[in-house]
Amino acid sequence: MASPHRVAVTGLGVVAPSGIDARQMFGRLVDGESFIRLHTIDQPPRPVTQPAIHCADFSPEAHIGKALASTTDRSVQMALTACFEAWLDAGLSRDKEGRHDYGVSWGSALGSTSTWERGYREMWQNGRDRLPPLAVVLGMSNAAASHISIQLGLGNSSLTYVAACASAAAAIGEGYKRIRNGEARLMVTGGSDVPLAYAVMKAWDALRVVAQGDADTAPASCRPFHPGRSGLVLGEGAATLILEEWEHARARGATILAEVVGYGTCSDHSHLVRPDRDGQIRAMRLALDDAGLTPDDVDYVNAHGTATVEGDAIEVDSLRALFGDRAAQVPVSATKSMHGHLMGAAGAIEAVTTVLALAEDALPPTAHLDAIDPACEGVRHITGSALRGTDARVALSNSFAFGGCNAVLAFRKAAPA
Amino acid sequence: MDTLTVIREFLVDRLEIDPARIQPEATLEELQIDSLMLVELIFECEEKYNVVFERDVRSPKNIGELVSIVDEFVVEAQKAKQA
Repeated sequence: MASPHRVAVTGLGVVAPSGIDARQMFGRLVDGESFIRLHTIDQPPRPVTQPAIHCADFSPEAHIGKALASTTDRSVQMALTACFEAWLDAGLSRDKEGRHDYGVSWGSALGSTSTWERGYREMWQNGRDRLPPLAVVLGMSNAAASHISIQLGLGNSSLTYVAACASAAAAIGEGYKRIRNGEARLMVTGGSDVPLAYAVMKAWDALRVVAQGDADTAPASCRPFHPGRSGLVLGEGAATLILEEWEHARARGATILAEVVGYGTCSDHSHLVRPDRDGQIRAMRLALDDAGLTPDDVDYVNAHGTATVEGDAIEVDSLRALFGDRAAQVPVSATKSMHGHLMGAAGAIEAVTTVLALAEDALPPTAHLDAIDPACEGVRHITGSALRGTDARVALSNSFAFGGCNAVLAFRKAAPA
Repeated sequence: MDTLTVIREFLVDRLEIDPARIQPEATLEELQIDSLMLVELIFECEEKYNVVFERDVRSPKNIGELVSIVDEFVVEAQKAKQA
């Protein structure tokens, strides 16, 4: 077998409340700024209100045009917007013929939820007995990957990974593997989700794992590792990483932002919602083994850190076990405290954050962490604002999902040219 | 509202094209109306006239042919409703 190909990250894109700009978002994360606000969906039988990430200023028509916007679900609109941004960021041209060695690997936990919910309401609440003919193609779970493939001319694989909160991390990891194994030269990877649909918000509320808050307290309602944490905050959005075979990127003069060096995925095979320490350790070890690295090489961990009571404690326990005596020196943060939990896009927005943390030598904090739960002690929590000047070289981005799906990505800082 | 206007309004909104391009002699191909959009157009006409066509619309070559088919089907459907 030929030696594996190195995989470069050459473009980033996000749709977040901070705008359609990954670096702008990162700039606010390093300052510890939360994008979380109280969000209400005012629909029958009664309004639902939660702290949430809502991209209120997102205008799909402005980013993808009216024709595409009128034939796509909001999650797909966000996916396309993030991909167009990342494509541009990578210095790629959109006026070329399609390429069969370029593909898309996308993550979504929920698919086109808004479309289906609107259809159900039309039928069961408003008494309509027909749905518009586009409902099928608007609602299919692989709609984002399909549109990305069509719009960017990606003729290699077009696959969608559904693994709850690890969907995007799995999509990035599987895309990375295709390049590493010589099956593709460039993969558009990432994820998108819009959980701000009435039934989705109610369903999560019923699980009693959603952070509570009012208009004043909502921004600080998601508090990973804090003794007063009360749960996660649902968020809508999308994030994209352009992954590219190293020499292909160099040959076209692309700026290499970081290198994907490892990917580990495994199943807890134990419980639907209770995270498993051994499964998490195994996933992190698999990623490091894949990278040819050891725990001693890791300089930063972007934790899954959803701010659930049990989940955070188990993840820190896993990190303590992985890093051993060195655990207290390893910087860790949970950026969901600021950008929320983007479900099937979570792994992507955190991968973007991790890449920029290495590139800009600024490790973002866990916001609102003015006290640490004793059960979450034993690692170097980043509090307040970013930890700068550590010259971090290697970082892990953890995604530990419901269903016991674990996916961990390992990134290395790009060597100076 | 006549059928040509219904079709024109839908296409202008969807494709953001000059309404003057949507003339009876304009082909579906030149307006980039694919089979999926044709189904949408039929649905739009059914909604506007509050009917459901009994038959599938055969592939019209141009907008004029599409208008004729829709008008014919609307009459049929309205008769069926009254019966």
